[in-house]
Amino acid sequence: MVQTLDATFALPARAPSRRVLWQPWVYLAPTLATLVVWIYWPLIEAAYLSFFQWNMLPTATPRYVGVENYANLLTLPEMGRAVRNTVLYILGLLPLSVVLPTAIAILTQDLSGPFRSLYRSLIFIPMIIAPIVAAVLWRWLLNEDHGLVNAGIEVLGLTPVGFLKDPSIALWTLVWITGWKLIGFATLLLSAANGTIDPGYVEAARMDGASRWQVIRDIRLPLLSPTILLLTMMTILFGAQWSFVYINALTGGGPLQSTTNVFYLMWDYGFQSYSAGWSATAGMLTFAGFGVIAMLCLRLMKRFAVHEG
Amino acid sequence: MKADTRRLVVHAPMIVLSLLAVFPVWWMVVTSLKPENEIFSTRLWPASPSLENYAYVLDAIPMIRILWNTFAMAAATALAQVLTGLCAAYALTRWRFRGSGIAQGLIALSWLVPFQLTMIPNYVLATKLGMLNTIAGLVIPNAAAAFAVLVLTNAMRSFPKDLIDAARMDGAGHLRVLCEVVVPNLRAPLASLGVLAFISAWNEYFWPLLLTRRIEDTVVQIGLQMFMTQEGNQWGAMMAAATLASLPILLLYLVLHRQIIDSFMRSGIR
Repeated sequence: MVQTLDATFALPARAPSRRVLWQPWVYLAPTLATLVVWIYWPLIEAAYLSFFQWNMLPTATPRYVGVENYANLLTLPEMGRAVRNTVLYILGLLPLSVVLPTAIAILTQDLSGPFRSLYRSLIFIPMIIAPIVAAVLWRWLLNEDHGLVNAGIEVLGLTPVGFLKDPSIALWTLVWITGWKLIGFATLLLSAANGTIDPGYVEAARMDGASRWQVIRDIRLPLLSPTILLLTMMTILFGAQWSFVYINALTGGGPLQSTTNVFYLMWDYGFQSYSAGWSATAGMLTFAGFGVIAMLCLRLMKRFAVHEG
Repeated sequence: MKADTRRLVVHAPMIVLSLLAVFPVWWMVVTSLKPENEIFSTRLWPASPSLENYAYVLDAIPMIRILWNTFAMAAATALAQVLTGLCAAYALTRWRFRGSGIAQGLIALSWLVPFQLTMIPNYVLATKLGMLNTIAGLVIPNAAAAFAVLVLTNAMRSFPKDLIDAARMDGAGHLRVLCEVVVPNLRAPLASLGVLAFISAWNEYFWPLLLTRRIEDTVVQIGLQMFMTQEGNQWGAMMAAATLASLPILLLYLVLHRQIIDSFMRSGIR
C-alpha cells in the first residue's frame, strides 16, 4: 500500500528525457492497452453518456438531453441521502481503520517473543477473507432470531437487535463489517511504522523527563503521521467503495434506503432500473467530488513530506 | 506486579483483536459441521460433527465446477498481471524516454477510477465481444494492474544495472535479458506478487457479478451470493458453501502467511 500510494502521489521526479524511443512502448503496450480499453476509454464514454438518456437496450438509441440529468440528480432527495450516507460510511470507518489501530500499535509496541508472529498471522486473516464470505458469516452471527450475537444480548436480558433490519442501525452494521476486514491490516501497518522509530529519540526524551504520554504525543504520533495520513486517505477515498459488496449482498440499500451510498446508487440506476444516463451522471459527480478530495489530500501529504525533510 | 500489568496491557489488545479476527471464521466452520438439529445451539464445537451440509451444497449447486472456474480465472489473472507488469516495469526502468512520465501517470492513476463509473461502457463492450459468461471475459479486463507495475518497477530500480549491461554487451536482445537475467533474479518479488494477485482475483466480486449470469459459469463469490439468495436461511449449508469458498485461500495462507502479510503490506490492495 505504501509503495503504491507513494508512486501514485509522487509522480516522476526524474529529469524529463527528450529521447524518442519506440522500444519502451512495445513493452508498455499490454499494460497501457488494457488500461485504456477498460478504464480510460470507458471513463470518457461515461462522461458522454451522462448527457444522454438510455435504457441500455441495444435496440434503443441514446437520446441527447443536455445537462438535464445533472439538474435532476442534484435536486433529487435520493442523491442527497446517498451523499450523506457516503459521508457516514467514511466517518464510521475512520475509528476502525485509523484511530483504533494507532492506539493498539502504540500500546503493544513492546510485544516480542513467539506470540508476536502468532498475533500477526491471526489478526491479518480478515484481510484475505473474501468480502462476500465476510458478508455471509456476519449475516449469520448477527441474525436477529438465531445469531450468536443476539443470543448473547438476550442472555444479558436485553431485547434482540435487528442489525440489518433496523434503519437506524443497518448502516453501522455494514460499517462494522467493512472495518472488521481492515482493522488488523491497519494495525500491522502502523506497528511496522512504529517499529522503525529510532529508540534513541524516545530514550533522549525520557532522559529529559518526558512522561509516557508526552513521548507518544510529541515523538511517536508525529513520526507515525505519514502512515496515519495514508490510512486516513485510503479510507476517505475508498471506504465507501469497500462497503459496496455488503450493501449489495446484505441490504440492497435498505431498509428505507438507510444504507445506500453513491456507489450503490450508480449500480442501482445502472443495473436495477436501467437508466444508464443517470448512473453515468451520478458517477461523474462522484468522480469529480472525490477528485477534489484527492487533490486536497495530496496537498496535505506534500506538506507533511516537506515537514519531515 | 508492575511487570504483570505491563504484560497484560501489551497482550490484551492483541488477544482481543485476534479473537475478533478469528472467531467469525471459526464460527463459520463450526456451523458448517453441525447437523440440522444442532444448528441453533451455541456450542463451540458440534456434539456430533457431520458433513451433511457439504453434501447438500455439492448437490444443490455445481460447486466443484464453480471452484474450478474461480481457480482458472484467478490463476490466469495473476499470471497476466505479473507478465504485463514485468514488461511495463522493464520499460520504465530500462529506458529514459519521452512520454515515460505520461505512461507512469496513466498507470498510477488508473486505480483511482471507481469501477461503478466505468461499468456500463465495460459491460456494453464485453457484451459486444461475446465475453459474457466466459472466463476470458473475467480475465482480459484485469490483465494489467497498476499495483503489479508499481511493485515490479520498485523491485527493478534496485536491480544491479551492470548485470543487464553485461548481458547487453554479449549481444542479448531485450527480451532475452528480461527472461534470462531479470526474471531469475526477481523470483521472490515475482512470486509474492503472483500470490497477492491470485488472492485478490479469487476474492474479486464486482466484475463477475456483472458478467456471469449462469451459476455453472460463475465464480465462487457470485455463486455464494446466488446460493444466499436461494437458500439464505439454510445456515448450515450457507456456512459450508462459504467455507468451501475460502478454503483454498486459507490453505494458501496457512503455508505462506509470512510472505502474504509482507506482500500485502508492501503493495496493499484496493
